Amino acid sequence: MNSPKNDENAFWTIFGYMLSGLLIWGGIGYGLDRWLDNDLFLLGGLIFGMGAALYLIWLRFGRN
Amino acid sequence: MFRSYAATEGVKDEGFNPPDAGDFNLPPFIDGNTFATKPILLAFFSVTLISIFFILASRKSALVPSKLQFAGESIYGFVRNDLGRDVIGHEFMRFVPYLFTLFTFILVNNIFGIIPLIQFPTMSRVSFPYVLAAITFFVFHYIGVRRHGIIAYLKGIMFIPGVPKPAYILITPLELATYFIVRPMTLSLRLFANMFAGHLLLLVFILGGEHLLSGVIGLKVVSPFSFVVAIALTFFEFMVQCLQAYIFTLLTALYITGALADEH
Repeated sequence: MNSPKNDENAFWTIFGYMLSGLLIWGGIGYGLDRWLDNDLFLLGGLIFGMGAALYLIWLRFGRN
Repeated sequence: MFRSYAATEGVKDEGFNPPDAGDFNLPPFIDGNTFATKPILLAFFSVTLISIFFILASRKSALVPSKLQFAGESIYGFVRNDLGRDVIGHEFMRFVPYLFTLFTFILVNNIFGIIPLIQFPTMSRVSFPYVLAAITFFVFHYIGVRRHGIIAYLKGIMFIPGVPKPAYILITPLELATYFIVRPMTLSLRLFANMFAGHLLLLVFILGGEHLLSGVIGLKVVSPFSFVVAIALTFFEFMVQCLQAYIFTLLTALYITGALADEH
């Protein structure tokens, strides 16, 4: 596989991870907010999700 | 948000109506038949066009190719070598028919956006990209399940090796969401949004230029600039249309590669 295609792959993989990090953990936070009548979990979830996504990106691309 | 076509027609004469999402809502040719619309007709037309082109290009294959045969073989060779062999590796031939169909179908339907008299990119109606992304989604998951078995395949997606156990709580939901939600979503919405925005942009400058022509003399003078920008943007759109067809096919090939790989 040559490098422009690798870049394209990496770019969209990273984009996908960050999107799913926000969606999943942000979504869980939003659900907790609705359930517990609070407004901190959404923010916490978004930050947590972003952190998780960055960690996953590091695992995939940064380790070697 | 989505004005009906009739409503758009009704208010045409009170000043300039900037183009919006309602302009993509084309009415059926036959009243009450929701399938007789321009995008659906264009999709069928593209299939006819592609079939005729490649049948003619491959019918009289000669060692010294004609121009038509050369054109057909260049496109086929591009998909097979650049998107198939270089990305997927040694078992690429199984997937070339799918990649080739996908690439030519998206390419022709995109380019319809700038062909005079047609001028509507089929993929700016979101259902078309949805269906294409759904097919790709089933294809790469099916290949992965066939190759590894369903349990090993899901395990490969959920657990990347060499990570401390507690971290899986953090990561596994993200991997699952990426493979099952984000991938088909980004695949379809990227294509849709590019075609939608591109068509809207052309509409703004062409309809704007036309409207300026009907204004006072000062406005008539600036009208040509609007058309010049529209022409420049048409070339830009051509680039975007080719690129989007390429990216859709490339990502499909990459997803297939990922599903075939031993570890994810």
